[in-house]
Amino acid sequence: MSTATEITHYVVPFKLHRLEQGPNLQVKCTRDEAMKYYKQMRTIRVMETTASNLYKSKIIRGFCHLYSGQEAVAVGMEAAITLDDSVITAYRAHGWTYTRGVSVKGVLAELTGRHTGCALGKGGSMHMYGKNFYGGNGIVGAQIPLGAGIAFAHKYRDEDSVCVALYGDGAANQGQLFEAFNMAKLWDLPAIFVCENNGFGMGTSAERAAASTTYFSRGDYVPGIWVDGMDVLAVKEATRFAKSYALKNGPIILETATYRYHGHSMSDPGTSYRSRDEVQEVRQTRDPIGKFAELATSSGLLTKEEIKKMDDEIKKEVATAAEQAKTDPELPPEELYTFIYKNPPANTRVRGCDDTIWAATK
Amino acid sequence: MATAAQKICCRLTRSSPAAFRFHSLIRSQNHQSKYYGYVQSRKISASSAAYATTKLDMPSLSPTMEQGNIIKWHKKEGDAISPGDVLCEIETDKAVISMDTEEEGILAKIIVPDNTNNVKVGTLIALLVEEGDDWKSVEIPADAEKPAAASPPPSVSPAAASTAMPAAPHGANLAGDGHLIGPSVKKLLQEYNIQASSVSPSGPGGALLKGDVLDYINANKLDKKVQEAPSPAAAPQAASPLPPAAPPVAPSAGENYVDIPLSNMRRVIAKRLTESKMTIPHAYATIDSDVGAIAELRSTLKADGIKVSVNDFIIKASALALQRVPRVNAIWENDALKLSSSVDISIAVATPNGLITPIVFGASYLSVDQIGSTVKELAGKAKEGKLQPHEYQGGSFSISNLGMFGISDFTAVINPPQVAIMAVGTSRSVASMAGSVSKMKVTLSYDSRAISEVEATRFLEEFRHSIEHPQTLLAGTNLDTAAEAFVF
Repeated sequence: MSTATEITHYVVPFKLHRLEQGPNLQVKCTRDEAMKYYKQMRTIRVMETTASNLYKSKIIRGFCHLYSGQEAVAVGMEAAITLDDSVITAYRAHGWTYTRGVSVKGVLAELTGRHTGCALGKGGSMHMYGKNFYGGNGIVGAQIPLGAGIAFAHKYRDEDSVCVALYGDGAANQGQLFEAFNMAKLWDLPAIFVCENNGFGMGTSAERAAASTTYFSRGDYVPGIWVDGMDVLAVKEATRFAKSYALKNGPIILETATYRYHGHSMSDPGTSYRSRDEVQEVRQTRDPIGKFAELATSSGLLTKEEIKKMDDEIKKEVATAAEQAKTDPELPPEELYTFIYKNPPANTRVRGCDDTIWAATK
Repeated sequence: MATAAQKICCRLTRSSPAAFRFHSLIRSQNHQSKYYGYVQSRKISASSAAYATTKLDMPSLSPTMEQGNIIKWHKKEGDAISPGDVLCEIETDKAVISMDTEEEGILAKIIVPDNTNNVKVGTLIALLVEEGDDWKSVEIPADAEKPAAASPPPSVSPAAASTAMPAAPHGANLAGDGHLIGPSVKKLLQEYNIQASSVSPSGPGGALLKGDVLDYINANKLDKKVQEAPSPAAAPQAASPLPPAAPPVAPSAGENYVDIPLSNMRRVIAKRLTESKMTIPHAYATIDSDVGAIAELRSTLKADGIKVSVNDFIIKASALALQRVPRVNAIWENDALKLSSSVDISIAVATPNGLITPIVFGASYLSVDQIGSTVKELAGKAKEGKLQPHEYQGGSFSISNLGMFGISDFTAVINPPQVAIMAVGTSRSVASMAGSVSKMKVTLSYDSRAISEVEATRFLEEFRHSIEHPQTLLAGTNLDTAAEAFVF
C-alpha cells in the first residue's frame, strides 16, 4: 500500500533570464497525479518502442521521428495547461499527439496509414492533429511563427488561453524564430516558446551548431527559464509559471534540457555522433520515467506493484492498438482528393497529376 | 530549501549507474513480494506463459533491406537485457549495424545463431522472457519460420577441416575470437581453403592480418584451390534450408555474381577507348539529311538486279566528302597531322568478342556496289574471326552505323590515330511542308585539335549533299566546284 497521498519534490534550480522571480523550487504532487504522469510517460515510451518495431518490420514506412527520452516535456507541460490552450510542435509529434487526447491507436494507425489514424492515415509521423493541437510540422522552425499567430488569435478573441510552440535546439538557430519573438513581444502575445533541447540537431551537437547554447536567454528582450526537462514535475511547475506570466506579460521562453534515445529519424542509428555509452548513461541516470518511478516509490506515493500493474496494462493496451493499426483498412484512393478545400460547393472537382484526371472532392 | 533540492539532485545524477536500473530493481524485489506469486500463477497455464515471451524478429535496418546476415550475438542465452543494449551485429545490404533493443528481460533463446546469412526481414531470431521467468524452459512458437539459410555446423574436426573442407563459411566475417576479418584476408583464406583459427594472428588485439595468412601459406607450402564461381542460377537454390551435413554452403548475398575474364581483345578495346576519351578533345556535330532520293534510287537499281544498301551509299558519300575536306581524312603521326593520300574507311562491325573495324580501302574510287560487296565480305570474315591484321589495321576515317537497330542518333569514340568518326542513326519519317520525308541523323565526333568547327561543318554539308543527290555518287570522284569555292 502506498503510504503518502501527497509529496513535496525539490527540483533542480531553474535558471532565469530577465525574470526577478521564477517558478517554485518545491513542487507538490498527489497520488492521482503521480499515477497519471507515470502512465502517460510510460505509454508514450511503449508506443514509441512499438512504432520502432513496426518500422523495422516495414509496416510503418517513410518518415518516423521518435520521442523516447523526452516524455517528461510533453507530459509535464500538458499537466499545467488545459485543452483550451493550444499546442503546435515540430515533426517529433507522437508524444504530444497522445497527451493532447489522441488515443494510442489514433497515433499508431496514423503511422501505418490506416483510416483509423488521427489524420485518417493521410498525414503520418509528422502530420498528426487534435483539438487545439496544430500538429507536427515538417518544416524546421516554421511552427514558431504559426504558434505566434495562434497566440495572437487567443488574445484577439479575449480568451484566457496560451499557445505553446515547441522547437528543437537545431531550429533554435533559425531566423524566423527571432522574427516571431519580435512580433510576439511587440504585441505581448500569450505564447510560450519551448526549446526542447535534446542536445542534437539531427547529427550535430548543440555546441557545434550554436554560438550560444543557453537557449532560454536567446530571446533577448523575451524572458526565459531553463528547466530540467527530464523531471516531469519541474516541467509542470515551469509551465504553470510560464502560462500565468504569458497571460499577464506576453511571451516567455522555456528551455527544457532533455535527451533523445533514438536517432534523429529511423535512418539514423544515432551512434555515429555520440557514443552508445553516453546514451546508456542517460538512460540509467537521467531517464524521466525511471527517475519519476524512483521518486514515487521511494516517497511512498506509489507502490512497485502499482507500477508493475500499470506497465502490464500499458503493454497490453499498446499491443492491442498496434494489432488494430496493422489490420484496419486503408482509405480508398478517392480520398486522395478530399479535404483540400473547406466546405467546397457541390460538384467541385479537383485535378490529379495531369488534366486527364479529375475527381470529386468534399 | 536549497540544500534539500541539491540533495535530491545529487542523488539523481551522481550515483553509480547500476543503482539506477529502476525496473530491474523493482522487479527483482518483487520476487519476495506478492508479485512473485502473480508471476508464478501466470506461468502455470501454457497460454499465459506464451504471453510472457517477447518475439524478436529480424529487423529492417535500412530502407532497402530485404534480408541480412547475423554476424555475431553480443548477448548469450540467459543474459539480462535492458533498454538500449546491443543484442547483435547485423549486416544489411549497406553496412554492419548494431541491433539494439527497447525491451527489458532475459534473452531466453537465440534461434538464428552467429554467422547466418540471408535471414529474411521478419524471421524470428530470438525470444525474450521477463526477468524472473524460467528462461531455460521457453518454447519456440510453432509458427516460427526456420532461418532462411542457416550455416551448417561443421561436421568434421577443426584439424581435418583445414584441408578437407571449405574453410570458414562463405560470408563469415569473423574469426573465432570475434575479430573482424578483412576482405582480402577472407579472400585469401577461401582461395587456399584455410580455417581462420589455424593461423596465428599478429595484428593489434589479436586481429588476423593478410601477412599472417601469407606466412602460413609459405610455411605450409599451400597451393591455391580451384573454386567454381557460383552461377547466378545456383544461388537461389542454395538459399533453401539445407540438411546440416550437406557440403555446399550457401553463398552470401555479395557473392551472387559471375566474373567474366577479360579477353585480350576486350583489354585492347578498353585501353584504346580510355586513351582516346582521356587524351583527345572530342567535339561533336550532327546533321540531318533527307534519304528519300537514296530509297528511290535503290528501288530503281533493285529493279535492274543491283542490290545495294543504304550503308553502302553512306560509305560512298563519306568517301567523297573526305576527299573534298581532306583535314577530316587525316591521321596523327609523330605529333603531327598527316593528310592520308587515300580514303580508307574503317567500318565498325559487332562480333561476339567486341567491336572490330575492317577497312574499305580506297573507298572514293569504288562504286557503290563494289563497296557493298567489300563490306559484305569483310563483315562475314569479322564475324567468323578470320580477319587478317592488314584488313583491320590502318584506315583514315571510321563509320559506326546503328541505324539498322533503330538507334536515332548517338556519338562514337574516336579511333586513334584517326581524327574523326561518324555515327549513323536510323532513317525516320519527319513531317515537312512537302509531306512526310525520310530523314537520317549522323553525328561526327572529331578531334578538335585537328579539325575546326568550320571543317567539320563543311564535311557534313558535303556528306549531306551527296546523300540527298545520290546521282552525284555515281560519277566517282567529281569535285563540287561550289564546295571548293567555300572560303574560310
